[in-house]
Amino acid sequence: MKPHAPIAGIVLLLLAAGACSRHKAAAPPPPAAAAATPDAAPAADAAPAPVAEPPLPYELRLGRETYRHYCLTCHGDTGAGDGFNAFNIDPHPRDLSDPAFQKAKTDADLKDAVRRGGLGVGLSAMMPPYGHTLTPDQIDQVVGYIRTFKPAPQS
Amino acid sequence: MPLRRLFAITSILFLAVLAVSPLKNALRPYRRFQREYAQLGASRAKSMQAAKAYLQKPVAIHQIWLPDFQNRVDRCQTCHLGAEDPAMAGAAEPFRLHPATYHTPKDFNRFGCTSCHGGQGLATLEKDAHGEVSDAGSPMVPLKYIESGCGRCHASEQLAGAATLSLGRAVMEKNGCYACHAVKGHEAFRSEAPPIETVGLKTGGPALRQWLKDPKAVDPNATMPRFQLSDQEIEELSNYVFSLTPAKDLASRIQAAMTAPAGDAAQGKALFAVSRCISCHTVEGKGNGTAPELSRVASRATAGWLAAFIRDPHAFNPRTRMPQFNFSDADVRNLVAYMESDFKDFDAPKEILDPIRVNQTLAEKGKVLFRQKGCFACHAPGAEVDRFGPALDGIGDKRPASLEFGKRTDLPRTLPAWLEAKVQKPGSFQDGLKMPTFSLSPKETQAVVTALLSLGAEPVPQPYRWTPAVRPSLLPGGAVGALMDKYRCLSCHQIGDKGGDISTAPLTAEGSKVKQDWLVNYLVLSFTIRPILTDRMPVFQMSKEDAAQIAQAFETFFLDPRIPEDPYAGQPASSNDPVEGKRLYDTLGCRACHILGAGGGYYGPPLTEAGTRLKPGWLFKWLKGPQAWRADVRCPNYGLTDAEALRLTSYLGTLVKSPAAAKAKQGGAR
Repeated sequence: MKPHAPIAGIVLLLLAAGACSRHKAAAPPPPAAAAATPDAAPAADAAPAPVAEPPLPYELRLGRETYRHYCLTCHGDTGAGDGFNAFNIDPHPRDLSDPAFQKAKTDADLKDAVRRGGLGVGLSAMMPPYGHTLTPDQIDQVVGYIRTFKPAPQS
Repeated sequence: MPLRRLFAITSILFLAVLAVSPLKNALRPYRRFQREYAQLGASRAKSMQAAKAYLQKPVAIHQIWLPDFQNRVDRCQTCHLGAEDPAMAGAAEPFRLHPATYHTPKDFNRFGCTSCHGGQGLATLEKDAHGEVSDAGSPMVPLKYIESGCGRCHASEQLAGAATLSLGRAVMEKNGCYACHAVKGHEAFRSEAPPIETVGLKTGGPALRQWLKDPKAVDPNATMPRFQLSDQEIEELSNYVFSLTPAKDLASRIQAAMTAPAGDAAQGKALFAVSRCISCHTVEGKGNGTAPELSRVASRATAGWLAAFIRDPHAFNPRTRMPQFNFSDADVRNLVAYMESDFKDFDAPKEILDPIRVNQTLAEKGKVLFRQKGCFACHAPGAEVDRFGPALDGIGDKRPASLEFGKRTDLPRTLPAWLEAKVQKPGSFQDGLKMPTFSLSPKETQAVVTALLSLGAEPVPQPYRWTPAVRPSLLPGGAVGALMDKYRCLSCHQIGDKGGDISTAPLTAEGSKVKQDWLVNYLVLSFTIRPILTDRMPVFQMSKEDAAQIAQAFETFFLDPRIPEDPYAGQPASSNDPVEGKRLYDTLGCRACHILGAGGGYYGPPLTEAGTRLKPGWLFKWLKGPQAWRADVRCPNYGLTDAEALRLTSYLGTLVKSPAAAKAKQGGAR
């Protein structure tokens, strides 16, 4: 690597020189620079929007699959408790995306509720126990996925 | 003297050359990785002892030897040291813990890493192992196609936990890939496409030309792909289709239907809704979509054909999945009147259904084209023994060097990239290729490529193969078999390892599950069992005799020895206690999904008449563990004891249709 450094340096110098001479040749450089910045700014704004959501890690995707299969019917896609089957259920399913709820419950609490059902943890019997249906791994994964819920932005 | 010097120099050179090999080994990157891993492990360790264990591990090559897989050796864990180490969750590559899947970590030593991931197991340099060097045999499978690894051992069409693979296999079946390409296990595949000689009876010249240009533009549910035909070729094929002579009987049926008086569109509309045509068809996109879109069908098929086809679909196309309804002549006339009034393309030219006056020269050319383009693979299967396209078995192990990239110089020279382009735009490789365009979505393309990559050249050894435990279907013959074929039960229902997926109710053990009297009534007039399902059982207008005959066959043949007739036998008397069962029903939260009386969720079937419908043996076995009967069912397993399940069964058994209510509902019920 070492012997390449001076050569690279020379090449860089030459390139820089070339770039400078070009700049001088181009008639009015300041307007060009000014024109470039407003163009660049919206591009920078627009770019992050589509890539905002990075793909979920594998475990969370497994958790999402389990959640969508077993929980979504009542708890809804975003965890807000608005699944299509929630309509007739009294009391209504819990809003899992509520930050206060997320803070109040430990992972162990949530796993316990999934495993033993609402009645098992002293709540409504409408939440069935899934301890005999899901494996401990699946319960871990689904609780991991529930932790990703955020309240819908107010707009 | 110079000789001595020469000798000294060569000796030193020789020694230097000898030193290269151990030096190269000493400088291998995996040594550095293993030292880094020891440091990382020690820093994450929970005890002094564990930390010491990390630091004391000698630097060495770690390998899995797979004698069953052609003596393969996977050395991946020489660098991927934390793959089995729970302490490495979330660590940076190459130390990260392997995500939990159905086989990890317990099956690492059973089939290694390359069985799913591909790549060169023997190599210990990243580039070699991952197959990124140009002449590597098998590069790693990109993660978006990783489920292809599941498919190497799991040959079943549907596989829980491998959604992409399952979708890919379903898309291949639906699009008729197996009509042209031989794939093991799909030898019996037959396309549902109509026999070509009946097409001239159905449609007109302009409509046929439109269809040949792009079937999906005419009908979004079309399974026929686009063949990139030139106008000249379309003309030739159309002439060929109209030059064929269908069976006389069919033509005269259409003639008879044409001369019949027109029906009443309003009554036809009501009958269309009652018969639940959209359980398979769609109208303006609403419906199941496995059968043609109907909203413009009257501009694609003549009124006479519609009437004759609805009357007896199997005479026109023995391979169709459409059942034969017991419509009266008046019913059919009403239905056709409704379709003629509502299901028209009002922008279509007036002559859209006019037949073509055949030009014999064009028709002759069309006949040749029909063979050349492989149309016969779907429209006249069985005429040719061999599949038309190349066999697809082994395509998942093709070397990129053996693939023809043709004009696609833009593609990376890898098998997945080639397959993806081939599935999406087969015509872009070379002019004159015969494979048609299927217009798949990106998701479907990913799924199909996954399914194709799962077709390995060498079958995996027998102990590693997995086939679902499904009983082969035993279908009755004789009169009942003919009836079940007439109503095409297998188009929607599964029986054993055969049947469609429109219905959620497999019929394999129906006789052990439902009561015979209920089944007769249901077949005569099917009603909603699960309100959230949109694809409902059609109303066939089945006669009571037909229904009784089918129900009797179910009661006799479609049984499961695991389901007892009398679950109370040999149980203590207290287990037969409906009051205690009701208490269980209330505390278990069944109401969250089942309607009973007022309120309750509507995800599961309402249980208002559970006792009329279901046999106690089935109720009991279901309550003991629903997943044993349908692996992905949402109804949770409550872990009930036998006595509890029996009490609940006895309570559900008391929920019967009261005779008064039955009388009041007669006729109007649906």
